[in-house]
Amino acid sequence: MTRTICALVALFSASAALAQEPTLIRFGRGFAAEEQMWLMSARTDLTPNQGKKYQLKQILFQANPERFQAYLAGELDAGTAPGLAVIFARAQGVDMKIVANICLEAAGPNWFTTTYMVKDDGPIKSVKDLKGGTLGVVGYKTATDLWARAGLINAGLVPDEDTKVFSLGFPAMGDSVRTGKIQAGTFVEPFYSAEVAKGGLRKLFTARDAVGYDHELLDVWFGEKFLKAHPDVVRAFLADYVAVTKYYLANTEQAKRDLAKAGFVRTPVEIYVKNADWKRDPNGRLDVESLKKLATFMQEKLQWLDKPVNVDAMVDQSYLPR
Amino acid sequence: MSWQIFRTKYEIILRPLVVIIIALAAWELAARSGLWSPILFPPLAKIGSALWAFVSRPEGFTQSWTTLYRAFGGFAAAAAVGVLLGMLMGRSAFVAGLLDPVFSGTYAVPKLALFPIFIFVFGLSSLSKIAPIFLQCLYPMTIITYHSARSVDRVLLWSAQNMGASRWRALLCVVLPATLPYIFAALRVALPVALIVAIITEMISSVDGLGYLVTYSLSSLRTDRMLALVVVISLLGLALDRALVALRNRLVYWEKLDTYYV
Repeated sequence: MTRTICALVALFSASAALAQEPTLIRFGRGFAAEEQMWLMSARTDLTPNQGKKYQLKQILFQANPERFQAYLAGELDAGTAPGLAVIFARAQGVDMKIVANICLEAAGPNWFTTTYMVKDDGPIKSVKDLKGGTLGVVGYKTATDLWARAGLINAGLVPDEDTKVFSLGFPAMGDSVRTGKIQAGTFVEPFYSAEVAKGGLRKLFTARDAVGYDHELLDVWFGEKFLKAHPDVVRAFLADYVAVTKYYLANTEQAKRDLAKAGFVRTPVEIYVKNADWKRDPNGRLDVESLKKLATFMQEKLQWLDKPVNVDAMVDQSYLPR
Repeated sequence: MSWQIFRTKYEIILRPLVVIIIALAAWELAARSGLWSPILFPPLAKIGSALWAFVSRPEGFTQSWTTLYRAFGGFAAAAAVGVLLGMLMGRSAFVAGLLDPVFSGTYAVPKLALFPIFIFVFGLSSLSKIAPIFLQCLYPMTIITYHSARSVDRVLLWSAQNMGASRWRALLCVVLPATLPYIFAALRVALPVALIVAIITEMISSVDGLGYLVTYSLSSLRTDRMLALVVVISLLGLALDRALVALRNRLVYWEKLDTYYV
């Protein structure tokens, strides 16, 4: 009898503990430019709500389609993605919303913007000279593809007809340009700094130049069902996220060292801390207008979308701290 | 009796269709169950519509030809070199001693791992895709030919020698016909490998071909288009295999393949 009572008490305690367990957020992350997001796992002391109001499990993905497929398969609740990838997903009917900014492609000496480089002593002096050549991007229908096509269109070239747009990994980009396999390549940090240090490459244009305005690069998205089911969890998560972003912007070098120490970054730490960084909004606020312009460009100039996407309906900043 | 033959013949054709119909029905049920997103599990009608859109445009044929041209390029080169090497290894202990350890030792290496090197050497052209196809197909071609050439009935060879056939003539008139069924078996192993490697290399790095279209469809979250391409690739693989079996039955007329699954 005593044993049965003890077992029941233990069972009740266990289920009560489970009931109090904070909601788990299964978060699909990427491998570049998401520092403040990674810092939430590397420095949990900066996130007072973590462990109390939510638990965070970050899962690494190499590309956006896989991340969205995992979400559709019910394996993720949220994640990071370029704004244009979310526009694509929404166009296909994926129920997700962008809730916060991670970083932007912005003009200015303080910010890094994705750069397209050519051989320093090569014949390509302007984008027009890419006619008949090949331009390397990291994947089709990615942000790097969009900027490359925008740059070509600005120069009066027809992508795929006048200039081939070729998918190539970031690590192979530098040597491919130097050896003439491709005439121009896409460079982001930390590859940009490493290739500039090697020498022999010259800037042709930037993502910001190609599009012509500051715009969203990476954002945080959540599944609509999760947003509806756990609004307070999302608010608590974003409160921590904004706090971490502010810490990161105020203590960038230390934050980068912590990330390197935690294994989120494999670049040698001394190079990593010196790299220029993308612009990040301290409050996680989004530049919605830039997303609208990107969506219009994707539909009208690139024919990447069959019909217009309602950008206002895919963005919800109400969960961010006021 | 004739009814029996008629029944058996149609049973042979219809039996595999039963499995296909069950698989399609299971897919449609999964798609309509609502358990999974229709973006991941599009209904058959949507896949069919994407398939029609692909085959009804000239671009569909151009892209298919691009992939086939690469696959055939690597496959044909591997067949020629593989048969030659296999024959030499099978009939010469010296050549076998020289090459067998190389082939045995590197058989398990996925040749696609060398793709970045091929890009570096051959650039972004079709040649960088044909090279890994060649290498991947070379192994089954060489090894199967080698073992079949080695196991040719000695009595046949002795008979040819007794009748005054030279070494070269014995190779051409005895060893080659004896190994031909195995060479075709090797070709049937290598042909789908060629198609697979062509598509994978196009998925990794290409601006054309079926593999490129698969990646492009996935990047656009168009699973219906991607699955339509999977159907096209399957049908191409089947058609190529049937063509190869037909050619084999014509050339190796003394040993026809008559089981239903070939």
